[in-house]
Amino acid sequence: MKKIIQYLVVVSSLFLTWGCKESFLDLAPISNPNAGNFYKTKADFDLAATAAYTTLYTVYDAQGPISYVGELMGDNVTINAIPGNQADKWQFRDYTITPANTMVYQFWQNFYKSLYNVNLVLDKLEGADLDAAYKTKLRGEMLFLRSLYYYNMVQIWGEVPLVTRTLTAAEAQALPRTPVAEINAQIMKDLTEAKSALPVTATVVGRATKGAVQTLLGKQYLVMGDKTNAGKEFLEVYNSKQYSLLPSFASLWDPKTKNTKESIFEIQYLGGSPTSPFSTYYREFFPSTNVLGFYGSGMNQVVDNVWNEFEAKDSRKQASIDTGFVDAKGTFNAARFPKKWADKTAPVVGQNIAANNNFIVFRYADLLLLLTEATGDAKYMNEVRARVGLPAYGESGYPQKYNTVALALEHERRMELAFEFHRWFDLKRTNRAIPVLKEKGKSVTEEKLLLPIPTFVRDQNAIITQNKGY
Amino acid sequence: MKKVLSSLFLVFLVAQGIRAQSVSVSGTVTSSGSEGSLPGVSVIIKGTQRGTTTNADGAFQIEVPDQQATLVFSFVGYKTVERVVGSQSQLSVQLSPDNQVLDEVVVVGYGTQSKRAVTGSVISVNYDKFKDRSFSNVTQSLAGTMPGVNISQSQGAPGASPVIKIRGVSSITAGTNPLIVVDGVPLENFNLNLINPQDIESIEVLKDASSAAIYGSRGSSGVILVTTKMGKPGKANVSANIEYGTQEVVRRVKMMDAQQFIETYVDAKNNAWMAQGGKASDPNNLRPATLRIPEDFTTNPGQFGKGTDWQEVMFRKAPSFNAQVSVSGGTEKTQYMFSGAYLDQTAVLDNNYYKRLTMRSNVRTEVNKHLTVGLNLGITSIFDRTEGTSGKSDVISLGLQSSPIFPVYNENGNLGFRDPNSTWFKYTAYPDMNLWHPYSLTREAEKSRKSFNTIATGFLEYKIVDDLRFRTSLSGNLYNARADFYWKDKQKYGYSAVLPAQGNAGNNYMLNWLSENTLTYDKHLGDHSVTGLLGYTVQKQRDETMYVAANNFPNDLVQTLNAGTVSAGNTTASEWALISYLARVQYNYNNRYFLSGAIRRDGMSRFGADNKWGYFPSVSAGWLISEEAFMGNIKAVNNLKLRVSYGVTGNNQIPNYGAVSLLGSAPYVNGGTLANGLVVSGLANSGLKWEKTDQSNIGVDIGLFKNRITASVELYNSLTRDMLLFVPIPDITGFSTQLSNIGKMRNRGVEFAISTKNINRALTWTTDFNIAHNKNKVLQLGPNNAPIQYVDNVTTVRTEVGQPVSNFFGYIFDGVFKNQAEIDAYPHHASTTPGDPKVRDVNGDGKISDADRTILGNYQPDFIGGITNTFGYKGFELSFLFQGSFGGEIVNNNIRFLGTWDNGRNFFEDMYGYWRSESEPGDGRHFKPSVNYLGLQKQFSSYWVEDASFVRLKNIRVSYSLPNQLISRLNIKDVRVYMNAENVYLFSKYIGYDPENTTYGTTSYSSSMETASNYTSGNAPVPGAFQGVDYGSYPLPRVITFGIKASF
Repeated sequence: MKKIIQYLVVVSSLFLTWGCKESFLDLAPISNPNAGNFYKTKADFDLAATAAYTTLYTVYDAQGPISYVGELMGDNVTINAIPGNQADKWQFRDYTITPANTMVYQFWQNFYKSLYNVNLVLDKLEGADLDAAYKTKLRGEMLFLRSLYYYNMVQIWGEVPLVTRTLTAAEAQALPRTPVAEINAQIMKDLTEAKSALPVTATVVGRATKGAVQTLLGKQYLVMGDKTNAGKEFLEVYNSKQYSLLPSFASLWDPKTKNTKESIFEIQYLGGSPTSPFSTYYREFFPSTNVLGFYGSGMNQVVDNVWNEFEAKDSRKQASIDTGFVDAKGTFNAARFPKKWADKTAPVVGQNIAANNNFIVFRYADLLLLLTEATGDAKYMNEVRARVGLPAYGESGYPQKYNTVALALEHERRMELAFEFHRWFDLKRTNRAIPVLKEKGKSVTEEKLLLPIPTFVRDQNAIITQNKGY
Repeated sequence: MKKVLSSLFLVFLVAQGIRAQSVSVSGTVTSSGSEGSLPGVSVIIKGTQRGTTTNADGAFQIEVPDQQATLVFSFVGYKTVERVVGSQSQLSVQLSPDNQVLDEVVVVGYGTQSKRAVTGSVISVNYDKFKDRSFSNVTQSLAGTMPGVNISQSQGAPGASPVIKIRGVSSITAGTNPLIVVDGVPLENFNLNLINPQDIESIEVLKDASSAAIYGSRGSSGVILVTTKMGKPGKANVSANIEYGTQEVVRRVKMMDAQQFIETYVDAKNNAWMAQGGKASDPNNLRPATLRIPEDFTTNPGQFGKGTDWQEVMFRKAPSFNAQVSVSGGTEKTQYMFSGAYLDQTAVLDNNYYKRLTMRSNVRTEVNKHLTVGLNLGITSIFDRTEGTSGKSDVISLGLQSSPIFPVYNENGNLGFRDPNSTWFKYTAYPDMNLWHPYSLTREAEKSRKSFNTIATGFLEYKIVDDLRFRTSLSGNLYNARADFYWKDKQKYGYSAVLPAQGNAGNNYMLNWLSENTLTYDKHLGDHSVTGLLGYTVQKQRDETMYVAANNFPNDLVQTLNAGTVSAGNTTASEWALISYLARVQYNYNNRYFLSGAIRRDGMSRFGADNKWGYFPSVSAGWLISEEAFMGNIKAVNNLKLRVSYGVTGNNQIPNYGAVSLLGSAPYVNGGTLANGLVVSGLANSGLKWEKTDQSNIGVDIGLFKNRITASVELYNSLTRDMLLFVPIPDITGFSTQLSNIGKMRNRGVEFAISTKNINRALTWTTDFNIAHNKNKVLQLGPNNAPIQYVDNVTTVRTEVGQPVSNFFGYIFDGVFKNQAEIDAYPHHASTTPGDPKVRDVNGDGKISDADRTILGNYQPDFIGGITNTFGYKGFELSFLFQGSFGGEIVNNNIRFLGTWDNGRNFFEDMYGYWRSESEPGDGRHFKPSVNYLGLQKQFSSYWVEDASFVRLKNIRVSYSLPNQLISRLNIKDVRVYMNAENVYLFSKYIGYDPENTTYGTTSYSSSMETASNYTSGNAPVPGAFQGVDYGSYPLPRVITFGIKASF
């Protein structure tokens, strides 16, 4: 009996002493790393930088903001009845966007989530005990990404809250929309710093380079109406001899051809496996919901107008546009959809297709055309035409209806860069959006060239104002 | 099945074998007062459930096993009397009135208490109340019978747990599931389907803070105590039970048939085409692809007939079978209870089923006069296939969305129009043809889940001195579930896409262990008595998940994943731990004045480093006024008690690592090779702490006319502060929400329950009625009291100060503009043409904008209640239960798909009354359909919100106990046959299946178990905020069961 009592006392006191340890309650996450002890070593920052680059996947996604605004709000494409909230998607095409549009809100979130990831690296880099050269370069890359996003956001929304570091909820609540001039100033400042920080050639393929920064800087100057400085930046890239046109336009779009001499900044995908970050453009642009075992979304379907604008001898038409597909029954279905990101041998994975194509944000042909835009000199544009064997502007055989450099350039950009998310931005930058789009039957107005601030954002924070016309 | 029957038969045989000589006894029962003979007195053979009642003259006759048998005479309002039969064959028994009828014992946290000493608000329900009910989850049987406890069946699938809310909703985004305590083991988010209701002795619901505060940090949503049965000293009692039943969906959703559908489809296309300047008569080649109409729809719609009613295809009349055996008994020193039960339930949904085997062994023994040890062990395995409960993309909702024009089978025996060899293939040319054939999911997919649960509690009680007892227990709950899925190649073309074969398998593992150590001190000194409790408990849980998916199956011959190529796989694990100290003192003077105080200190791993510990105190007092001398003259009142209590409880139901900022994986490609990346996936809040609720409660219990009428009233006021809230924050932070402690919310309510014995003679009639009202109001929110708004699948819920939690928030549609004149006379959206909705200009600024959105309703009812009438006559018993809920609203989120044009999905028949023209304005409520709605038609509006009030004939029960004279010769103690009908009839205006349907469960975190909270849809950050939103649900079937119960 006494033994039992002794036993009880021992057991219960054991429980008490052992249980009292506070460490019993200090449970660290098992299946997720803890942010508390991250951002210390170079290896940590390598991981963080890699993650910051994944924001490009979000922003340049086929169902992302640049695609919707760049193409669907332009005159190159339409969409099929596609999964998700169709009415909200059609509003882009039809210029009937309301502040309640769920896609607009999603894009807002996409941009700011991406900015958070970039700003977080910048914040943490500040106090990190790492070698100066590494810090300078990583900072330059992050500033480039941040500038790229603000460059697009200003064109999409006009004034937006300028966030250049991670914010607490209270700080965010107190931040109104920032005047465009202030955002532009920040972009210029960041790009100037990035320009001196980044190497001419990337040490890791796919990372931002000086050429990418200067291309963006030039585009920013163009948007601000400063053609002189834009021309300077573009010319420096041109003269760096880092880039050249590939001999064959079609070969650019081979899913295995990546990071060529023509590429200035390119988003990196890896196909073949469902667990790697594969490219979704093929699937999203495929016209029919299900014929080859995967879901095609029917995004960015090619309209007749752009098909007809290709010159008769322009081989880019065949290289850029697919004309149909063979269904399960073996019949050919005619449908025009973008071909540039097709990867017909990619494995079907569930309802997806693991395509391998990269997405080029800036390429040398784009730069050449921008050079013509900045300088008014058609020779750069003619390099682009020469590659596909078309007569130069001013030569005989050049279509007569494009009788100014500006019109010729508008035509050339539409053909060369078709479906690469440039169209609307080009039209807007050159003040051609309203006449060109009106002619295609779009009910566009000056006010509609900015998206509304999402209702939800304004419900959350009353100090955020709305754009005119919404 | 056969096995079960044969084992039952065996048990019968054994029971027959142990019979002995029986003796017949008769007699009369009279009152010691002036009442004379007493009819309706219960006469039970002690240690059994067998017995009889006295007739109108107070006489009885009963067979007893032998002369040693003891008869127990009990009657409400009288003291119970026991008599040993001995050699007498005639017994004359006198019962004396008892004013102290409150000596029933109820289970409370960490102990038991006599009912008269209860000072908080506790509902106690014993086995008798639910013994014949057929639900697999005991709480389902209690719906409508407990004031202030709202038990609603969000999904009607077999095994689906109900959503339980005690006294309103105490939190906005933290979990609101009550804590379940099984035989003393507190289990968060425990699935009560794992406990066989027939093994349950009693259920106690702790409603107020003073009763729940002993569970401290987990008590704020109330506590449900489940106590399993234990044998009683005496002969072994063998009882067996077989039930057979059928389930049927009697209330279907009215959908359009093929003719109505085609007409609406054509109108939707033409309306959109006309809005673009076209003419309804224009042929397809003039129209854009999205506005083309299949030729057959215009040339010969009659060929489709009524088409297919997909509900007819997916639902069936489903049988269920249930059998169980239990053996209980013991000696003064050792008691035991063993039971086994098997439930085989076919679901009303095609190819779905639910099979459960439960086994239990409860044993306790007194080793010596100091030491008692015991072990309760429950083992449950459930094999099921359950679909249709996950909302819009699950079988049932997809079936409703499917077009009625397609046949069940095409000419090739395949399921769908995507069959390239079928004449139906031509419809693939139209992107708005929809078919998710139910069989493409239920028959073309193999799906199963196997869950195993063991819950065990071993304890040791040591009496140190007479008044001081030490108890230590170690409990474990081990849960394992395995799910398999294989989708056959091409699904016979019945799905919305023709998909290659794919398969996956998942496993959930959960181990929860608890060590409890308590010291109890009991002392009676004259009129004073004191009970003290000190305790220390440690609990820890680990959850693990595993998932593997595969594709590239060569064919459907081998369906395990080895046949394919593994395409994805992962495992995860997470843990929580809790340390608690508790103390309680209960004092009473003269069994008349009661006082109780308790405190618990909890430390929990989920919270921020500085806020892991919290204190949860409570005090309560009771006064048995009827015991006072001055009440002696008021004869009518035999019981009157006043209870007052106050306490603090907490809520810890947040994610396990809610206070920590986690990193998530974000891989990119560096120079052609895959590179890992890590990114912050949530904002940290190291100051995260408990949500606390202060609640005060006042209750009065009254018994009149010797308890012919008993009633109680409760008033409570509870205030939740430091609410654990996923606060929406500006997206410019990079995040949409952050878990924080902010705000205050109040729940105030009144509960009333009354039981009357209307007739108390040979015929008995009792009525139990309860009603409760709860008013929920948010008092304070985050910075500037900014409203909190969540949107999921268009539905918008908004929480703002001065309002109840989660109001539905959107536009008000005041019917339809019948003509241009009406449009011109009222502010309208720019796109409006006749037949479009009339959107109310709420703010009166002359235009329709975001600012016109307003409160459209709230899911919380104003009143809930229930009434049970029970009649008894000579072994017959009949009871029926009506349950009601009044004043709540429900969002019919299906309107998005089925109440407006949505890419060619079928429509509610209700919508057929839509506006067609000025001369055919329809029902004035349904606007014209269009493929391209240009206005606010698809925005969240009052068009989606319906009245959720209902009255349900929840249960009818008829039972008959075979007369003793008949069965005692067979040496059977008791035989009862019964019929039980559940969900008999629903009175509701809701056009969906059931106003109790909600696709979003309560919020719960960190649990592997299938609970009511698992049924979520969409990407709602906090499903709990979207309760009362039906976005595709499983109907509640009517269940009729016949059963027989016998004990030996």
